[in-house]
Amino acid sequence: MTSVAAPVPADAPQGLELPEAGRLRSTVDFYLTTMRLAVQEQFQYRTANYFYMFGMVAEPVIYLVVWTTIAEQQGGSVQGLTVGYFAAYYIVWTLVRNMNIVFGAPFWEHRIREGELSGALLRPLHPLHFDVAFFAGWKVVVIVLWIPLAIGLSLVFDPVLDPRPLEIAVFFVAIWGAYLLRTMFQSTLGMLCFWTTRGAAIFDLWMTLELLLSGRLVPLPLMPDWVVTVSWFLPFQWAFFFPIEALVGDFTDAELARGLAFQLLWILIGLALFKLAWRFAIRRFSSVGN
Amino acid sequence: MMSDYAVHVAALEKVFDVPEREAGLRAATKSLVRRKWRQVRAVHGISFDIAPGEIVGFLGPNGAGKTTTLKMLSGLLYPTGGEARVLGHVPSRRERAFLRRITLVMGNRNQLQWDLPALDSYELNRAIYRIPRDDFRPVRDELIELLDVGDLVRKPVRNLSLGERMKVEIVGALLHRPQVLFLDEPTIGLDVTMQKRIRSFVAEYNRRHGATVLLTSHYMADVQALCKRVIVIHHGRILFDGPLTGLAEQFAAYKTIGVALENGHGGLERYGEVIHRDGEWVTLRVPKAETPRVAAQLLADQAVLDLTIEDPPIEDVIELVFAQERPE
Amino acid sequence: MGTVRVFWLFFRVGVMNELQYRMNFVVQLLQSAITLGVALAVLALVYSHTDDLNGWSQSELLCVFGIQILMGGVIKAYIQPNMTRVIGEVRDGKLDYALTKPEDAQVLASVREVRIWQVVDVISGAVVLGFGLSGIVADLALLDAAAFAVALVLGAVMIYCFWLVIATGAFWIVNMWHAIELFDGVYLTGRFPVGIYPGWLRYSVTFLVPIAFAVTVPAEAVTSRLEWQTLVIAALFATVLFVGTRWFWRFGLKRYSGASA
Repeated sequence: MTSVAAPVPADAPQGLELPEAGRLRSTVDFYLTTMRLAVQEQFQYRTANYFYMFGMVAEPVIYLVVWTTIAEQQGGSVQGLTVGYFAAYYIVWTLVRNMNIVFGAPFWEHRIREGELSGALLRPLHPLHFDVAFFAGWKVVVIVLWIPLAIGLSLVFDPVLDPRPLEIAVFFVAIWGAYLLRTMFQSTLGMLCFWTTRGAAIFDLWMTLELLLSGRLVPLPLMPDWVVTVSWFLPFQWAFFFPIEALVGDFTDAELARGLAFQLLWILIGLALFKLAWRFAIRRFSSVGN
Repeated sequence: MMSDYAVHVAALEKVFDVPEREAGLRAATKSLVRRKWRQVRAVHGISFDIAPGEIVGFLGPNGAGKTTTLKMLSGLLYPTGGEARVLGHVPSRRERAFLRRITLVMGNRNQLQWDLPALDSYELNRAIYRIPRDDFRPVRDELIELLDVGDLVRKPVRNLSLGERMKVEIVGALLHRPQVLFLDEPTIGLDVTMQKRIRSFVAEYNRRHGATVLLTSHYMADVQALCKRVIVIHHGRILFDGPLTGLAEQFAAYKTIGVALENGHGGLERYGEVIHRDGEWVTLRVPKAETPRVAAQLLADQAVLDLTIEDPPIEDVIELVFAQERPE
Repeated sequence: MGTVRVFWLFFRVGVMNELQYRMNFVVQLLQSAITLGVALAVLALVYSHTDDLNGWSQSELLCVFGIQILMGGVIKAYIQPNMTRVIGEVRDGKLDYALTKPEDAQVLASVREVRIWQVVDVISGAVVLGFGLSGIVADLALLDAAAFAVALVLGAVMIYCFWLVIATGAFWIVNMWHAIELFDGVYLTGRFPVGIYPGWLRYSVTFLVPIAFAVTVPAEAVTSRLEWQTLVIAALFATVLFVGTRWFWRFGLKRYSGASA
């Protein structure tokens, strides 16, 4: 066996390495570029996005109609929650639910199965950055498209909504907190796809817990007391019930601050879990391939 | 010294653990509890060095270990044993500085945003690779010009043909001006014109920037046009490493003699196996060692108008090499 | 008869295919259990705050749930996979393979896929229905049972027609995928008797997407509140829909062959 290592031809110009921009500046630049990209792409798919949102509206409308029916049978309220409150709750629900759709477990499954992960790993940037940035851009489109939908629903269902300016401000922070919180936990869950191709069953189980404990099904106060207690020890309600209630309910300033603090706490816990899972996942991926 | 090489590979190994599956529900349930594993040695202690600016063809049949090696060199796979260095970096550490200096292009794989013009994806790459805007623009425009993609970068990628897509893909993969290019079947599925275009681009890029290229391809035309040196890998081992012409010398047991005779072409069978007749021109296959003797005989016996001695076509040689049994 | 033979042929192949993926059965079992669990949780929650919902007792609503799950199983076993396949094939131009076969194209397009593990949903739906019924009456009147069976079949036919219209729409609008998600969402409305919904929604889920016919009407039959006129309307509507969609399918097919030639 011979080994030939030809010398570089003398006249060959050397590949000039391109300079690297500063870290903070380029991270901001990356987020803005990616978000702009997502906005462009998703506006191309306005119709598809609307289809998607309409399909999603069925769920809260059903809950809303059921609880309105019960409230009306009992003279206008259930456990002090009025018909107008239910309407407001489930209309704001539609936005929060959309903010809860993130680059989650099923996307990871797709990314690994279709071999897209290799491409992502070759880039000098963690894929999570891209996921957070791209979906954040998409959310901007979702919020814009949501406004006419919310107006339509308000005309049909007469919500009672009387938020203070602070509540509105907290709401706008909290929906992004919800977005990040759920991104962390869904991405962590997505790491399971490195080991099994049948993650779907586990994701469904998780989604069910989420449905029951987050306030997606009903405003948490309607749940049995023990469920409410359990939900205090889990991340779910901070990504769903808290943002809605911040706008619709009457949280005190202290409760609003506490809610945001809990969101931050769970985002950090989720991030730590993700980083841990990612380390194992990548170790596995680079020893097995795909 | 190691840093003299763009790529340094020493006794590199990759062993995969593959679950063994038997048919049937019972085996399936059993395997949930205790799985049987089988070890598959995809890369079996290979060593080679590539100097900066070299273009090397990496050849081997499907499953020979080419892609596994490329993935180890680009940091996607962790080697089981041995050593790999690319530009002095250990690939599996996936350091930023390393990733900024390499690229991996896989044919039939799309890394650009499907629904947007490529230009937008280029912007994204600029941000990902942290390239200042002023440095970025001339690099991008140079690539666009070199590959002659022109206005294609303004159309959504999904509307491009396969070949057009590959061209804009390559532009995207080179925007950070990598010094080492791993090209895995870059011309697969493309028509001949497009293959040529990409070939001449790789040559030009290499000439301009002195980039190192490691290329796999099923099309021998790619290899012949670009690579002075080839590495042949089979069953995870290196069978050959040297100039392309040396391949036939080492592996082909035959040469072909083309001959045109003045007085017709009867009775040539006794010199060797006649494999082709085209008018005057007859092609014979002759054992390599016999070639000089047969040629001399022909010239002595017959009224020869013209005579050539050639190695068999490279495709045939490769076929011969690939047909070799697994050593063990 | 051709239709039955084709149906049987593809059914056998489909079953043999699915039997190879037995883990899917376990996954399906788990998913059905989750669906059931959530449904029962919702029921418990609603009736912890009230005794009757718009005139329906807890046991009666349990019947509605059961039928919704059962019908959902049928839809996911047969109707949805076949129609999804048509939509996908129109996009990829693979429908040509089906069209070149010497069989009725509509029949062929409707029977090629079968997800047998969905039978878990059908069974669990039936069990829930049984529990619901046991809470209402000692024994089911024969006439009610017959009406139930007829209403169920008519409902399935109407849902099939709805899906065929969507699939045929793919001949014009390539991107029909979102209709699938739309349906999954809207089908949830069947969890509750349509009577509770406001007018616009009630009409939509009755005539636009015939969920009321598929779930509420059979549920009315087993709870002895079905009026015979409703059943007649259902039969008429199903017939009109079936004839209409068949015409629409052929019309779309003509356009498809014209466009791809």
